[in-house]
Amino acid sequence: MAQLLEIKNLHVGFRTFEGELKVLNGVDMVIGEGEKVGLVGETGCGKTTTVKSVLRVLPTPPARITGGEIFYRGKDILKMKPGEIRSLRRGEMSAIFQDPLAALNPVFTVGHQLRDVIKYSSRARHGKHLSKKEIRDRSIAVLKETGMPDSERILSNYPVQLSGGMRQRVCISEALSAAARLLMADEPTTNLDVTIQAQILRRLNELVAKRRPSILLISHSLGVVRNLTERVYIMYAGNIVEVARTKDLFADPSHPYTKALLKTVPKLTGEGISQGIPGRIPNYLNPPEGCRFHPRCGHAMPICKKERPALFILGDSHKVACFLYRR
Amino acid sequence: MSRKELLVGALSRKRASFSKGWYKFSRNPLSVVGLIVLFSVILAAVIAPYITPYPEHAGAFTNFRESSLSPSLTHFFGTDTVGRDIFTRVIFGYRFSLVLAVVVLGLSTPPGVILGLIAGYYQRRRIEIAIMRITDIFLAVPPLVLALAITVMLSPNLFNQMMAISLMWWPWYCRLVYSITRSLRHEYFVREAELTGASKAHILLREILPNCIAPILTKITLDMGFVITVGASLSFIGLGVQPPRPGLGTMVADGAKRLPAEWWMAIFPALAIVIVILAFNLVGDGLRDMFAVEEV
Amino acid sequence: MTVEGLRKFFFTKQGTVRAVDNISFSVKRGEICGLVGESGSGKTTVAHTLVGIYEPTGGRVFFKGQSISRVFSQRAKSLKKDIRIVFQDPGSSLNPRRSIKQILELPLKVHRISSNSDRMERVKELLRMVELPPEDYMYKYPQAIGGGEKQMVAIARALASNPSFVVLDEPTSALDVSVQAKIINLLMQLRQSLNLTYLFITHDLSLMRNIASRVVIMYLGKISEVAPTVEFFQNPFHPYTKMLLSSIPAVSDEEENLKPKEVILRGEIPSPVNVPPGCSFHLRCPQKMDICSRVDPTIVEVTKGHSVRCHLFSDRREPT
Repeated sequence: MAQLLEIKNLHVGFRTFEGELKVLNGVDMVIGEGEKVGLVGETGCGKTTTVKSVLRVLPTPPARITGGEIFYRGKDILKMKPGEIRSLRRGEMSAIFQDPLAALNPVFTVGHQLRDVIKYSSRARHGKHLSKKEIRDRSIAVLKETGMPDSERILSNYPVQLSGGMRQRVCISEALSAAARLLMADEPTTNLDVTIQAQILRRLNELVAKRRPSILLISHSLGVVRNLTERVYIMYAGNIVEVARTKDLFADPSHPYTKALLKTVPKLTGEGISQGIPGRIPNYLNPPEGCRFHPRCGHAMPICKKERPALFILGDSHKVACFLYRR
Repeated sequence: MSRKELLVGALSRKRASFSKGWYKFSRNPLSVVGLIVLFSVILAAVIAPYITPYPEHAGAFTNFRESSLSPSLTHFFGTDTVGRDIFTRVIFGYRFSLVLAVVVLGLSTPPGVILGLIAGYYQRRRIEIAIMRITDIFLAVPPLVLALAITVMLSPNLFNQMMAISLMWWPWYCRLVYSITRSLRHEYFVREAELTGASKAHILLREILPNCIAPILTKITLDMGFVITVGASLSFIGLGVQPPRPGLGTMVADGAKRLPAEWWMAIFPALAIVIVILAFNLVGDGLRDMFAVEEV
Repeated sequence: MTVEGLRKFFFTKQGTVRAVDNISFSVKRGEICGLVGESGSGKTTVAHTLVGIYEPTGGRVFFKGQSISRVFSQRAKSLKKDIRIVFQDPGSSLNPRRSIKQILELPLKVHRISSNSDRMERVKELLRMVELPPEDYMYKYPQAIGGGEKQMVAIARALASNPSFVVLDEPTSALDVSVQAKIINLLMQLRQSLNLTYLFITHDLSLMRNIASRVVIMYLGKISEVAPTVEFFQNPFHPYTKMLLSSIPAVSDEEENLKPKEVILRGEIPSPVNVPPGCSFHLRCPQKMDICSRVDPTIVEVTKGHSVRCHLFSDRREPT
């Protein structure tokens, strides 16, 4: 599979009053064509920052990309001109974020917003100008695909008139229309009810199978990621700590953080709640030397405090950033 | 912990938050410029008698031999029609303007804020309706007309001018605080205080008011400029500081008659007004940035 | 705490919102009762009514044998001390302009729990109880601490007045799993050591499985099923319950096997202004019968402690 997206050693920092927050500390990620990849990490680990860096929508006064490259189909996004990036965002990659109400413009109808997306994306992608009728037909079609009931009527509704699930379906429609190749979903169902979440995730699965964009699903919920992805990255404090095929990750979690994370999820089997992970996420002003997880790790060795572990190869597509696994 | 330790702890915390506030303020260099200008103006006004070349000109003084002189090294801003040094009079004029601004805002803000808190908190009751309708009435009257009417009814002088302007200024604060209080009224932390059983006074003054301080302070700084303008307008039509005392508006009015030949008589006082208003506005901007609440 | 026929309606221009419509359940001392429901189920309204933010439109609430169906402004101070709530959103439950010390002092001051000099000590004690070192946290402001820590402060604040009953409204829904684990463990310990009773509201069934002794499921303002925890998960009755259980994102094959199979997920929750006639769930129910669109079922106790509100079961046993 050709590599659609390749993030190499990405470093991102934020300037504040107290100093520079060194958030992303060398992120490496690869997404192939038509692949479904998950990114799991807790709040503050840098997942959203990563997505925004790829889309180049980081607010660059406080934020700074201090190192690394992001290759999209072979070209470095970080070196592209604004015009090039804009056409990428219009036709090839898009994102869905956590709060659909914040992502939709409250004073325009759904139909209007969808129309804009479709119009610009088709222009960017094929140079084609679609007629009004074609755009409207496509809007209804894409909404139907996301499982929206009564798609035709919805076009004339305003976002506030819709429920959370429906709003998110609108956002997904917009993203699908704009994203021919890469769809990044940042916690798309966290704010929704559990039954709606299950429905939407199922739909997303079907849609991706049909249209074949690559999808990067970001969540702090391991369960959500397990059902939708082929490979999973686990992120902690600005570093990728483990990556594996989904099956392998859940069957054989290797990194101490991954193991601890899996343990803290409350389970239907009724085993009780684990103790949680001792300590807190590090202060990005003064992150720990070496492996950023070592202050909280039960297996910390002296080398962990000095050097940052690279991603050691464990098996087929299974890599861990931990000195316990160095050969 | 001993009292001394508590005090030292509190002071160091205050210092820490102050330096953080300064950092945010100084992000915008213009605000710092505004602050410097403002300090200079205030300082100048306070020590006016000591820094002006001709302090006696700020009162009844005539020297017709030196009248209508254009700006020079001896008279930076020139002299007016009766021979008084305009520079001196501008600095003294600042005194009146600044006193006006401080007094008006000091008088009108507290009642406006308190009424706004009460009206915003007690919703759907007669108090809210009463307060807000009264506020609406005051806001409906064109401000200058109101101030005019009052000043004319009483005799025109600085004191009455201050009273008149105060009377038309408080409703703005009432409205500002009212809208903030209304939006905060249903927040969880207010609910929590109510559920705990805190007194209404505590809720209004200790829970809601601190969240209003930032917009209030910002508004006060910006309003200072406005009040000075209004005061100058009133003086311009003769209802403010009476001659021979130097009011900036009065000076502009007198000087206007002499334009364009003896331009310095009007331009410099007008410039002085503009500078102080601009300085207040810039500082207001900086304050707004300083108070922005950031999340980690 | 006993709730009998509780109703809370909101009268708006768009219609009457039947947020809570005839709910009855009780919580025994020392137990953790889980209240589960999705948006629009009315669970938050129930919580707010119990605490006194709302006055019931109908029905009654009893606490320690006394009727307390009144708004907080009309409740006795001792009641305000005894029943406390931890809100869902840590961001807005702490005043951003007050330091943590000030926030924790308020209940102490209002209820005159300690004298001025002891108050400082008590605040420190409270912080230590939730495992936040007092020296670091006392003078901080809410913006400077993370979501999990904010919730711990909210919990400390709730416990400041030595209550016996605490309502926890989705305390961990906005937080990461590892933080959630910490807080839940803390809550369990505190319940033991301080002899508390919890009404725990959440939409997370996996969480309920591990901490609640009984589970109450709400849908659109009515109770749809009540059961002791183990029984509930092994043998769910109501179709809605099965839908909920099958939507849980599982983390292992073991868990997957515990979920009900072959459940069709359909539809969305209707607005509480437009409650469907008959059984409010019938539009989405895969096992709908003719009677379901006409008649609203009553709650029936099918096995001991396990009640359902569904026509599929109304032929068994007498109504409760």
